[in-house]
Amino acid sequence: MNVRVGIRLLGCLLLVAAPFFASASRAQDNTGTKGIDSGNYNIQQSVEFGYRGNWVNGNQNNYDTFVNLGSGVRLFDYTLDMRSLDHRGIFFDNLNFSNFGYGGDPNNVTRLRIEKNRWYDFRGVFRRDKNFWNYNLLANPLNPSSFNPATPILNSPHSLDLVRRMQDYNLTILPQSRLRFRLGYSHYKNEGPQNWTSDTSVISRLNRVDASTMNAYRLGVDYTIVPRTIISYDQFLNYSKQDDTARDQNFLFQLTGGIPVDLGIPFNGTTPCAAPITNGGTTPPTVKANCSGLLSYSLAGRPRNFMPTERLSLRSSYFRKFEMTSSVAYSSANNQLPDYSELSTGLSSRTAQRSTTSGGPADAKRVTVTADWSGIYSVTEKFRIEDSFAYNNWRIPGVWNAVLGNGFSVAPAAGGLFPSMLLPLSAPFSAATCPAPFTAATCPQHTSSSGEDFEMETNSRFLGQNSKTNNFELAYDFSKRLSARIGYLYENRVVADFFQSRDIAEIYDPGGPTGNAANFHLAARGDCALVGGVLPAKCTLQANGSIIAVGLDAVGTDTERNLTEIHTNAAVVGLTFRPMDTLRINGDFLFGYSDFALFRTSPRQVQQYKIHATYTPRPWMSVDGAIDLHENRDNVFQVNNLAHGRTYSFGTILSPNPKLTFDLGYNYNDIHSEALVCFAASGQAGLPTTPCPIVGSPVALSSNGFYNSLQHFVYSDVMIKPMKAITASFGYMGSFVGGSTLVLNPLQPLTALAFNYQKPYAMIQIDLYKGLSYKTTWNYYGYNGKAPSAITGLAPIGSPDFNGSLATFAVRYAF
Amino acid sequence: MGRVKGLGFCSFAAMLMITGLMISSAQAQEKTAEKGKSDSAASKTAEQKPSEKGYVGSDTCKTCHEDVFNGYEKSPHYKTMLDPHATASKQGCEGCHGPGEEHTGDPADKTKIFGFKGASTEKVNSKCLTCHASGPQQMNATNSLHRRNDVSCISCHSPHHAQTKEFLLVKSQPELCYSCHLQQKPQFNMPFHHRVNEGLVQCTDCHNPHGTVKPKQVRTSATQDAVCFTCHIDKQGPFVFEHMPVKTEGCVSCHTPHGSPNPHMLKFSNVNLLCLQCHTTSSFSGAPGTPSFHNQAAQYQACTLCHPQIHGSNVDRTFFK
Repeated sequence: MNVRVGIRLLGCLLLVAAPFFASASRAQDNTGTKGIDSGNYNIQQSVEFGYRGNWVNGNQNNYDTFVNLGSGVRLFDYTLDMRSLDHRGIFFDNLNFSNFGYGGDPNNVTRLRIEKNRWYDFRGVFRRDKNFWNYNLLANPLNPSSFNPATPILNSPHSLDLVRRMQDYNLTILPQSRLRFRLGYSHYKNEGPQNWTSDTSVISRLNRVDASTMNAYRLGVDYTIVPRTIISYDQFLNYSKQDDTARDQNFLFQLTGGIPVDLGIPFNGTTPCAAPITNGGTTPPTVKANCSGLLSYSLAGRPRNFMPTERLSLRSSYFRKFEMTSSVAYSSANNQLPDYSELSTGLSSRTAQRSTTSGGPADAKRVTVTADWSGIYSVTEKFRIEDSFAYNNWRIPGVWNAVLGNGFSVAPAAGGLFPSMLLPLSAPFSAATCPAPFTAATCPQHTSSSGEDFEMETNSRFLGQNSKTNNFELAYDFSKRLSARIGYLYENRVVADFFQSRDIAEIYDPGGPTGNAANFHLAARGDCALVGGVLPAKCTLQANGSIIAVGLDAVGTDTERNLTEIHTNAAVVGLTFRPMDTLRINGDFLFGYSDFALFRTSPRQVQQYKIHATYTPRPWMSVDGAIDLHENRDNVFQVNNLAHGRTYSFGTILSPNPKLTFDLGYNYNDIHSEALVCFAASGQAGLPTTPCPIVGSPVALSSNGFYNSLQHFVYSDVMIKPMKAITASFGYMGSFVGGSTLVLNPLQPLTALAFNYQKPYAMIQIDLYKGLSYKTTWNYYGYNGKAPSAITGLAPIGSPDFNGSLATFAVRYAF
Repeated sequence: MGRVKGLGFCSFAAMLMITGLMISSAQAQEKTAEKGKSDSAASKTAEQKPSEKGYVGSDTCKTCHEDVFNGYEKSPHYKTMLDPHATASKQGCEGCHGPGEEHTGDPADKTKIFGFKGASTEKVNSKCLTCHASGPQQMNATNSLHRRNDVSCISCHSPHHAQTKEFLLVKSQPELCYSCHLQQKPQFNMPFHHRVNEGLVQCTDCHNPHGTVKPKQVRTSATQDAVCFTCHIDKQGPFVFEHMPVKTEGCVSCHTPHGSPNPHMLKFSNVNLLCLQCHTTSSFSGAPGTPSFHNQAAQYQACTLCHPQIHGSNVDRTFFK
């Protein structure tokens, strides 16, 4: 269905609806409501409900990802407002209750506010968000069509269908008194199925169930010490937990004998192995037993996190010319994962590992100390000195005591296939089942690439940052027409990043087809691989033939100590110019320089230019224009990072009379980023060939890694009221995006880089009788990629395009 | 799961019950209030004590500004009239507009009384903050970027002509914010965006328009972390293995927070190029380069296929799981 068809549909609907209500609309006089006075309250209510139908063509997953509005009966809006006539209600003076989206829409929101003058103020919000997400180009392995059979990935390996429920409740007791109490509670819950990926023996798609919960309790006290000076204390107690599980349920192939197997999702000719399918005529297809694959996979982890925070704040404008704010906060967190467990069986053809287990407790803490102060001293009525200082220190120490194990198969029968998923796992290594010289069929069968049989390892990580920022400004009002400020911003930031991995113990058991006395029957491998024909220190041959490594110190890449200090200096300039009463121009500029960049894209040089003009020549006419430029650079040797975001915006609202309103606007956004990138790439035509100029780079190629996005956005909205009882509005919003980027994989569709996304709409409301209205709305969503989604050589993954029309028929009653 | 669903339902049900109770209480008061109906708010203005010099009381204002007064009578600001201990300078019209005696003597001369329209931002804010400075939301008003850019309280709030009952805004969100922040509207209309236009999220959930100590007036979470973690609780950590830029540079180092053409609101259309910009071996980078077997032209073009726990992991330094 295209726009034209949708418009026709709308026209038909309106034609059908309008005569039906015409007589009624003439009969009624007023849709506005003053509510009902009941007792000491004025009560106003409105309810809007009806039916929405949708018609979607094209990619349903993308429609649901972007829009996700379906068909059915809905409560579009319900509001209740109660106001005490004399502001002296028994339980409350004001009550506001609003709801929308119930009945099946992805977003449902309820807001409630109840307040009684000097006694209390309660606010509650309940929000539910059904977040469906399945944009198949994210994390798509882009399988080539040359694989037989071609295996396109039609759904994103990271798709999800989450439901978020967010509840916030806040109660202020004695809101106007010198001593005020604040209580709060929040409950957030995210749950639902996801697709996830794991690189175990193959990159497999997992079925994950995510359940994250956060309970937050707040307690605050405010006390006005002296006039215009208030001191506050807040205590926050946050508890969060995750109950994540993941399983492999995507067994799309079988081994001989009908054993289900998952070969992962990338199929590119060499992965998971060359020509894995031995019999495509079976259902499902039968594959090689010596190909990498998964026979089972499960993961479970239940992190528990407690995060208490205390904050003390002070605000004062006690002195006539001086006002200040300050606060200091201390927050800690303790995230514990006591029962992590990952189990998999299958085969990694390179290492001959048939099973892996991974576990061990993890514990991470965080301590954050923040403090800030800001003050304004008004030297004269026109001249102000302003300063703000912020201190932020956080550190995150963490440790994971890993326990890892790898299982191997028994030996195949003479001439049999090795490695193979059809071979049974060997029994745990022992002299009974695998005596010297370790050639028994029951011995675990290793290769020289096999990992350890068992390992205990301690991984420690420390990440911390200490930052101090000060912004000093002088502001002067030259006249009623002109104000300016100039300032200096300084930041000092120290980042510490330490990592150490220490092997407590590793066990390498002997056994394998290439084992011999010289290689200790393959027990001398991994960290205990022979160096010059002898075992490394701390690797000891045991009487049973195993080699045990104890206390291997962290060496090489297992130890990192990075300490980075960055100084940033910036000039800040602001300007407000009112050449006439109807025109205001604001300028806000920043020019900064840092002496080091923590990352290649962290800017050393920053320039920001923001200009906004508002022109209101008539009370019914306003015109706005804005220019927003951000220029970031880290263009040092072998980084060459340049980035900018340049936005130009225009908007106007014209309301020449209450019966007619225009709202129009246009926005142009130019986003660019580039940096020298080095990478490995091969096997495709048209790839960059420039060598990487960076000494010591493990990858050979380089190019300018650029991304350009040029975004046009237009919108218009027209509201007309041709008759007192009829209100109509129609409008259009369209995003037109184009761009270019470095393409490292020619199979990559560039849909996200170039598309049109258009959303026209129309609405007519007919007032029927004293607060009763009929409302019909039409919305159209059209997403059309401008770049081809059918790429030569890519297994067809379908078009991302969709178009959807929504028609809503609703009744609104306000009383 | 069922327990939480139950909690949500119970909360919603509790709200409905409270609402029902309130309506019932209103009905119960009906009879008792009938008598006092005639003593409606207008007569309560008599409580005001124009005892201070130069103050005339709101009833005097009403004689000329009746429409404004009638609206004011229904607004939250009317509660200033109910404080029996407050002086005239803190009540009613003159609580904000100052003493009206000179103005009543010469109504045509608008300089004889404080008018918010045309007053400087500093003066307008000073008037409002006289009472509102103690509010938790206004605690950092001295850091307000709006104030520095000549945006005063009445740019967003209208005590007399508000279109929203809560906070007395001149427009509801997000249209109010879009009216100045023109460049944000297109972002929230991108295919991938935070659900602001849909009403699920409000601008003020992430930003405090009255000022914060953070750039762009971004709020912090209760735990002094980035505000993003308020909802994205599974990304907060702390993790044993943090992805460093998440904590040091913030979520915006990879994401465009309002909306983007790219999935997950990423800054780049291709995940691998986003990663490579930092993960290229360099003496100027804290990020390690990619290993030689990461063939970008084959299965490794989507880094997050193998590194899905990219925000942080407790059990894998390379964010595999």
